[in-house]
Amino acid sequence: MITTAQVFTIISIICAPMVGIAALVLTLAALNLSLGIRRLYVQLLALIFDYATKIKRDKEISIDSNGSSDEPPTPLPPSTAKNKLAPTLEKKNEDNPVEVTSTTQLLNDCKDEINNENESDSLPIQEQKVSRASSQSDIQFKLGDIIDYTRQGLEAIVDDDVTKRFTSAEEMVVWNLLTRTQQQHEYFSMRVTLLWFLGFCVRYFILFPFRLFLFILGVVWMLGSAVFLQYFPAKDAKLRFGFYINIVLHRILSRVFSAIITIHNTEHRAKCGSICVANHTSPIDVIILSTDNSFSMIGQQQGGFFGMVQRTLSQTANHIWFERSEAKDRHMVAEKMREHIQAHNNLPILIFPEGTCINNTSVMMFKKGCFEITEATIYPVAIKYDNRFGDAFWNSTKHELFQYLILMMTSWAIVVDVYYLPPMTIEEGETSVDFARRVKAAIAKQGGFVDLEWDGGLKRALPKADYKAEEQRKFYEMLKTE
Amino acid sequence: MGASKSTLLPLEEEQSICSETGFTSKQLRRLYIRFQELGKRNPTCGYLTREELLDIREVSLNPLGQRLVDVIIEDYGEANKINFKQFATVLAQFRRGKSITDLNTKEKKLLFLFSIYDRNHDSKIDRHELLGILKMMVGGNIHDEQIATIADHTIEELDSDGDLTITFEEFCKTLAKIDVDEKMSMKFLN
Repeated sequence: MITTAQVFTIISIICAPMVGIAALVLTLAALNLSLGIRRLYVQLLALIFDYATKIKRDKEISIDSNGSSDEPPTPLPPSTAKNKLAPTLEKKNEDNPVEVTSTTQLLNDCKDEINNENESDSLPIQEQKVSRASSQSDIQFKLGDIIDYTRQGLEAIVDDDVTKRFTSAEEMVVWNLLTRTQQQHEYFSMRVTLLWFLGFCVRYFILFPFRLFLFILGVVWMLGSAVFLQYFPAKDAKLRFGFYINIVLHRILSRVFSAIITIHNTEHRAKCGSICVANHTSPIDVIILSTDNSFSMIGQQQGGFFGMVQRTLSQTANHIWFERSEAKDRHMVAEKMREHIQAHNNLPILIFPEGTCINNTSVMMFKKGCFEITEATIYPVAIKYDNRFGDAFWNSTKHELFQYLILMMTSWAIVVDVYYLPPMTIEEGETSVDFARRVKAAIAKQGGFVDLEWDGGLKRALPKADYKAEEQRKFYEMLKTE
Repeated sequence: MGASKSTLLPLEEEQSICSETGFTSKQLRRLYIRFQELGKRNPTCGYLTREELLDIREVSLNPLGQRLVDVIIEDYGEANKINFKQFATVLAQFRRGKSITDLNTKEKKLLFLFSIYDRNHDSKIDRHELLGILKMMVGGNIHDEQIATIADHTIEELDSDGDLTITFEEFCKTLAKIDVDEKMSMKFLN
């Protein structure tokens, strides 16, 4: 029989370290310090992954040695452990199953190159060109004109640029011991499977409960601070406190995902009364950006749990929440934003102009809405995730939010580079669409993303019919110039 | 979070398709993932339909996209759908690399291109078929009479035996100076 005294001792023994950790995390978060444990952890992981991949590769080479391969296996990238947290770009060439030898972007101006190709090919066939004195046009059609479109179509079937952006980036050069990132689960060797199993246990039974605990801590902090601030009389002090409380909250939350955040160019941190614009990969983006700065969110007022969260957040800062009926009215939205910006000590508004999560290899079309506010200064931010330790991309067609969060909490870590870019404003005579494009290009350049004009909405909808008409018009122009 | 939780291609099937098409196992596996990705609305049925192929944005924007899908489904698939083996077979014809099987020859490519025009499979491109393709390529930018004139002139030039259609030999002759093999080859990465 266990006495109550013993029960109490047991509970306090369990609780003491937890309380201790909670206090430690809170202090670190408040003072913005880091013990460096996460970075060491990540370096250790990198070493382990290299080891596992080496075993896998050796196995593969021995299996495939009889098969005819068109190219030698890609060599293992030199000591990724030394690279520390630099993102591996070697996997870029693994993205395309088909090496595109000629341009495939249908909407590019590279059609001109194809024009030239056609011209040089058609010169020897000059004898077939009947010089027409009579006809109204010199349009000649050759049977071979279908070749380029056919090939482009086939290439698109094998791989297309849009689908590629909405699925997680492909098989990595270095396997990170998560079955979810491996294309097929093959049995390579006992050692690798053992490592994987060990990793699984560590992730689900050690890391996950710990992170869950931190998450609860974060929620408690948020609610506690909301209640605390309610009783604060002075508006100004309230906002100032709110600012710091918010940052601490997000630092706690970032530890929930074992996020290792490196911020570059902090001199360009978004100031009050401006708009902050970033590329969107996951809901965690908000948490990451908020560890360094406090923002005003903008969005629809939801119901239920999320609505409560929104109302709580509103206690600590001025957020812009809309009623659903107002959201459709773009003018009203723009007005609210303008008001918010003009009140000088309002927090910067955080906006993701892509409108949806993209898989962090490219930046898609920026919706022009927030760029129409001409008085605003835009602070662009590029967020680049390192996929080796956990893929942060939220594929909303594949995972529910809750499922996604669990996946995040059982990944190794989220390693992210945040680049603050110098502020931009709209120039004389520039349209909002051009301005949006300019900002997008700057973000794409900084983050090393592919700059695409495709609309993020294509994830769910079909493209407009007039794109095809545009293609036909281009072909017609090409025919005319021959 | 990797690509969709795909099922694996059974080993014997993979090997048999590899030997028939000339793809390496890695290339084939990658294609299989793509096949499943395209068919993800109906994951268990093991076929791709016309709609699923046309769902690819770049294909639906391509003026010849619909026709290309028609050729693939009708000539290489059956009952309006295509299974993975047929899918791999049609794509194998455009694989860049040495010809292990006789699938990726220049002849096969020319036949494919010919069948883009020749939908009634009578081995001839007649005026009607040529008009169809022209309309698809230029859309509303040229009037119908002009298109008809262009079609007539093209047939006139290329038809050597006077039957007002273009046979496969005449087709190949007119494409003789174009390096079809080069232009229609795609490199499939591992």
